[in-house]
Amino acid sequence: MNFNPISLSKRRYLITGAGSGLGKSTSILLSKLGAELILVDINEKGLNDTVEKCSSNVTKLIVDLTNIKEIKSQIIDSVRSFGKLNGFVHLAGRPYISPLKSVNEKTTTEVFMLNTYVGIELAKICTNRKIFDGDDGSFVFVSSVYGLVGSAANVGYAMSKAALHGVTKSLAIELAPKKIRVNCIAPGFVKTKMLNEISDSFDSSYYETLNNLHPLGLGDANDVANAVAFLFSDMSRWITGSVLNVDGGFTAQ
Amino acid sequence: MENFLEQMAELFEVDSVNLNDEIISFDAWDSLTGLSIIALADDEYDISVSIDNILNSKTIGGLYELFNQK
Repeated sequence: MNFNPISLSKRRYLITGAGSGLGKSTSILLSKLGAELILVDINEKGLNDTVEKCSSNVTKLIVDLTNIKEIKSQIIDSVRSFGKLNGFVHLAGRPYISPLKSVNEKTTTEVFMLNTYVGIELAKICTNRKIFDGDDGSFVFVSSVYGLVGSAANVGYAMSKAALHGVTKSLAIELAPKKIRVNCIAPGFVKTKMLNEISDSFDSSYYETLNNLHPLGLGDANDVANAVAFLFSDMSRWITGSVLNVDGGFTAQ
Repeated sequence: MENFLEQMAELFEVDSVNLNDEIISFDAWDSLTGLSIIALADDEYDISVSIDNILNSKTIGGLYELFNQK
């Protein structure tokens, strides 16, 4: 009666954005499923809180992910003492609400760097023979419904998220011979601090409008965490290059 | 101040603006222009403002004070 195909026992993963929101919930769930985790965030306080709530072997890595030159050596150092990885999920990201007429190159480039290019760099690092365990590889990117459908005042953010869908499919083909699966989750709106911060820019009817966009209502961070667990587990062993809509029906309309 | 007035003229899609001009009197005023003002405040003035803050400012001069009081 020990059949548990979603067990992540003896697997090791790196999780970015682990100090808050989706990253925190995902870390706690994966930990409950037995995975050992390298938790990455720039926010030490949030990271400490996540570490306290995890039940498996975890280690923290406080790093600015956009400092591309530093992250490889820091991850290699961390893996040296922690053990080789089976994969990662890139949950760190930032919103960018701006209509076309106020879009600027600096912020757009920063958003693309964190939301998108860091994901590519993580894939590059995690396929390195010093980092990758060699078996059961699974990389997960996290985009957005706004990588799939349009929304006003979102051009920079949509660019960064839609790009991840191309990255996912391209790397799925490139890394299949290495037995590494590459998938992407496209979440709808979930109740997180980031959503609260965005909502502060709008009037009180914003939440109601958002809720109405989701036939199943707004999501919870655990709804996304569950999808990450599935994509890391053997239950998804024949799935690669997919974009999984986890959005309460947002994009079904 | 001159740079601020030029930025406002561009966002409100007019040749020039005056400090006494009311925000909601511009033809280009809508929720997207409001979001543009929020993005400009964040990007170039390093402050967070809401649509309510903007509406309560009433005029271009009020917006200038809002951008420079935080």
